[in-house]
Amino acid sequence: MLALQLDTLDRIHEHAKAEFPDECCGIILSDGAREFVRECRNIQNERHAEDPETYPRDARTAYLIDPHDLIRVHKEAETEGRPIKAFYHSHPNHDAYFSEKDKADATAWDEPVYPDAAYIVISIYDGEVRTTRAYAWSEADTDFIEMPIHEG
Amino acid sequence: MAVIVRIPTPLRRLTKNLAEVEVGGDNIESVIENLEENYTGIKERICDEEGNIRRFVNIYLNDEDIRFLDGKATAVKDGDEISVIPAIAGG
Repeated sequence: MLALQLDTLDRIHEHAKAEFPDECCGIILSDGAREFVRECRNIQNERHAEDPETYPRDARTAYLIDPHDLIRVHKEAETEGRPIKAFYHSHPNHDAYFSEKDKADATAWDEPVYPDAAYIVISIYDGEVRTTRAYAWSEADTDFIEMPIHEG
Repeated sequence: MAVIVRIPTPLRRLTKNLAEVEVGGDNIESVIENLEENYTGIKERICDEEGNIRRFVNIYLNDEDIRFLDGKATAVKDGDEISVIPAIAGG
């Protein structure tokens, strides 16, 4: 189960709406008591424009967190004692599921990159949030499996 | 000269579970070579067959992405901190 504060869900849903029809992406930190939503820039469109062969998808069907945002949030996690709790991104006009690309990109060198973090996927159709689901690495299944989200 | 290299979780099995290691080197390329000498297998994970840094691997000198500096030729100095952080992406 992934417990998420109501505020956190509201904020990531607002982010998904603001970026629609592109995918939004971000990181949720937690110090145990409070959660901190850190919106990140999706640079997929820039990479797609520079090198469409390597990056065939644009930001409507893919995301890539700006490396500057990634190091900034990592530093905050470390210096403020707020470890990464989850990553989130949206699926505009698609359902909330952990796609093969999501799994492949959450894995590096055949191992989960963040075995302790959840990955939240927000399904948004025509600018309205439909479903939000979370996935995390399961050592027993050696796969990413769905974790029910508990709000509150 | 020695720098601190921060190792991402999936590579720590190569570094005896250490999150930070200290190695010598005067630029990013030589730091990677020195890492490989101490922790066999780490170079092929960070770099492709041609020796280029894999596109899903971000390397930062202190807080700056080396893609925006001089890439592998980026000079490092004593006490610098290098972070290896896999990219966060998906579909």
